[in-house]
Amino acid sequence: MKAKPKTVAGLPADKALALGERMYREGILPSGEPMQSVVSGDVPVAGTAFTCVSCHVRSGLGTFEGGVVTLPTNGTKLGRTRYRKYPNLSPEERKSLRVQTPAARPPYTDASLAHVLRTGLDPGGRELNPVMPRYDLKDPDMAILVHYLWSLSAQLSPGVDTTTLRVATVITDEVSAEDQEAMLVPMNNFVARHNAHASVFGTRMYMSIGGQEMRGAYRKLALSVWRLKGPSDTWASQLGAHLAKEPVFALLGGISYGDWKPIHTFCESRRLPCLFPITDFPVISDTDWYTQYFSKGYFQEGQAAARYLRGLEDPAPASRVLQIIQDGPEGRDLSAGFRETWQELGAGAVKEIRLGQGETVSLASLRTMLQQEKPTAVLLWTAAGTFDALDGLADEVDRPGVVIMSSRQLGTKLYALPEKARAFTWITYPYRDPKDEPAVSRYANSLLAGLSRHKPETRISTRTYALLQLFQAGLIEMDRNVYRDNLLDRLGMQRDHILPDFLRLSFGPGQRYASKGCYLMQLSPGPEPKLVRKSEWVVH
Amino acid sequence: MNPRTWHLAGLVLGLLAATPGGLLAQAPPPIKRTVESYTVPDVTLVNQDGAKVKLKAMLESGEPVIVDFIFGTCTTICPVLSAGYANLQAKLPPGAPKVHLVSISIDPENDTPKVMRDYLKRYRARPGWDFFTGQREDIDKAMRAFNAYIPNKMSHYPLTLIRDPKTGKWIRIFGLMSSSEFVAECRKVGIL
Repeated sequence: MKAKPKTVAGLPADKALALGERMYREGILPSGEPMQSVVSGDVPVAGTAFTCVSCHVRSGLGTFEGGVVTLPTNGTKLGRTRYRKYPNLSPEERKSLRVQTPAARPPYTDASLAHVLRTGLDPGGRELNPVMPRYDLKDPDMAILVHYLWSLSAQLSPGVDTTTLRVATVITDEVSAEDQEAMLVPMNNFVARHNAHASVFGTRMYMSIGGQEMRGAYRKLALSVWRLKGPSDTWASQLGAHLAKEPVFALLGGISYGDWKPIHTFCESRRLPCLFPITDFPVISDTDWYTQYFSKGYFQEGQAAARYLRGLEDPAPASRVLQIIQDGPEGRDLSAGFRETWQELGAGAVKEIRLGQGETVSLASLRTMLQQEKPTAVLLWTAAGTFDALDGLADEVDRPGVVIMSSRQLGTKLYALPEKARAFTWITYPYRDPKDEPAVSRYANSLLAGLSRHKPETRISTRTYALLQLFQAGLIEMDRNVYRDNLLDRLGMQRDHILPDFLRLSFGPGQRYASKGCYLMQLSPGPEPKLVRKSEWVVH
Repeated sequence: MNPRTWHLAGLVLGLLAATPGGLLAQAPPPIKRTVESYTVPDVTLVNQDGAKVKLKAMLESGEPVIVDFIFGTCTTICPVLSAGYANLQAKLPPGAPKVHLVSISIDPENDTPKVMRDYLKRYRARPGWDFFTGQREDIDKAMRAFNAYIPNKMSHYPLTLIRDPKTGKWIRIFGLMSSSEFVAECRKVGIL
C-alpha cells in the first residue's frame, strides 16, 4: 500500500480524502462545480449525470456489464502490476506459477493515474474503452481524486483474517425464545455446513475452477450473537461495545419486534453492512447504504394501497380517502406509506383519524367517523378488533365502497373477517400468493434440523433461509476482495432471486429493498376462506 | 473422476469464464447496424409523470422516434446511452423535426415514476425524452418485440432503435455510438 501523505494539493490528507470521495461518488469538484468529461469519443458528460462510482461502484472493484469490463480502481489493484490471467493473485503467489504470463500494465503511479484519467492511455500502452470518460481535471483536483483512489479498498475490512470471516447477528430482548430459535437454528446449521465445506475442500474446490487465484477466497465463518437489552436509545452504545470487543465484517439477519432504526443508524455511522434483518419496521431511505432489507415492511403495504387505488380505471373509489390509524408503529408506517405515495402520485391530501392504542371501534363510532368525512375509500389500519363494526357496516347503504386493511397487521385473525365484509374489504398482502408458496418455502426445511417447534406462519425461518442464500451469493461474488462495500456492491449486482415469502427479490446498485411490490387480496366466501388475488403484483 | 480430469475440466471452465471479459476489456464491442421490421406490442406503460401510455400508438404515431432499454440504477451501459440522448437533445437545432426519445425500463420493479423523474433530471433531459416503466409482463413483451429480451438486467447490452418515419422500419444499432455516429444515423432518417 502507498504511504499516506500529510497534505494533498495543499490540504490536510483527511480533508482531501473527503473531497476525493465526493468527486468519486457524486461527480462534484472541490470547487462545488460538476466534473467534466467526454465519453464515446465526443459525448460530453457532467459529473452530476454519472461519475466514477456509476461503473466502478462504491468499493472500486468494478463491474462486467453489457460486454464492457469496468476494471478495478481500488488502491490495492492500482498499486499492483495487472495481469490478464489470474488477476487476483498476490505478487508472492504469482512467483510460484509454473508458467509466467506477460503483464498487461505496470503498477500505476500518481503521474500515470493522472495520465490515464485524462487521456485513456494506461501505462501498459493500451487505450481504454471509449466508454471510460476522459476527465478534464486541473492538477490539484486530479491530485485529490488520485489520493482517494489510492485509499479506496486498500485494506481488507475489519472482521476478516486469512482463515475466518466474522459476522454477528443482533437480537433485541423482547424477542421470544421461540422466534430467536427460528432464526438461530438455520443460521447455525448454515455456518456448520459452510465450515464443513471449508475444512473438507478448503481451497481445493476452487482450484479447479479459477486456478490458484481463488485460494483464500473460502474462509470459515464465525457467528456471534449480540443481544441488546433495555431501551433502544442505549443500543448504539451496546453495539459499539460489542464491535470493539469482537470486530465483525457484517451483521447478518438479526431480529427485533420494534423499529430497526437504532441498529440501522449505528451501521451507517460505522460503515458496517447489515444484511436482511428480520424486521417489519425498516428505515425508509433513498440514500443510506449499509443496511440491505427484504422490503419496506408495513410502509410498503401502505404504498401499494395508494398505488392500486390511484391506478384504478374507475376513479370513484379514490375520490375521497380516509385513513383510520390505530396508534402504534404498524399504523404509523402503513399510513405514512399511503400518505407519502398518495401525495407523490399527485392525489392531494388525505383525511386521517387517529385511534388510541387498544381503542376499539364500535359500529356507532365508525359510523360517526364516516358521517363526518363521507369517504369513498377507507384505509382501516387497525387490528382485527374492528371486524364487528365492519360486519355492521356491510348493511349500511351509504357505506364507503372500499375498505383496505393490512394482512400483516391482522395476522392470523385475518381469516375471521366477517363474510358480509369480504366483498368490499381489500387486503394488502406483501408476500407470494399462498397457493404458490409451499413449492418455494420447502427448500428452507433443509436448514431446520434441530428446531424444536416449526411455526412457518412467523416467516422467520424462511426469511433466515433466504438471507443466508443471498449472503452466500455475496460471499462467492466477493471472491478474495473482502471489503465491506464490495459485499454490498456484489449483492447489488445479483440477478432476481426466487426465495421464500416475497414474490420476487430484485437488486441493483444502491437498491436497498429487495422486494418492491405487494398484492391486494380478498377473502373468498364460505366457512374456510382463502385469499384470492384482487390485483397484479403492485409496484407502481 | 481422477485429479487430472478435474484439472482439465477446471481449465476448460476457466477458459470459458475468462475469455469474454479478457477480450472485451481490450477493444470496445464493434457497432452492429441492421434494418429490422418489428411488431410493437399493444401494451400500456407508465411514464415518469405516472401517465399511462399505449406503447404501440406512441411508437407508430409517425413522428420520429428513438428507443433504448435502460434502468435507473444501471452501471456502465445506461449512463453512456443516456449521455448520448442528452447530447442529441442538446444538438437538435431549433427548427429540427420533433424527435421523441423513449427509454424503456428493464427494471420495472425499482423504476417508479419518481425514480425515472430523478434519472431524467440528472441527465438534464428536455421535453421530448420520456422514460417508461410498467408491469413486468408488459416490459418483457416490449423487450421481446424488439429482440432485446434479457432475463437478467445485469446482462443487458447497449441497443439503440431508430424508427424511420418514412418506411416504418427500425434501424437497430448494437453498441455504444459516439455523438457523431448518432447524429449521422439520425440524419439518415431525416431527424436532423
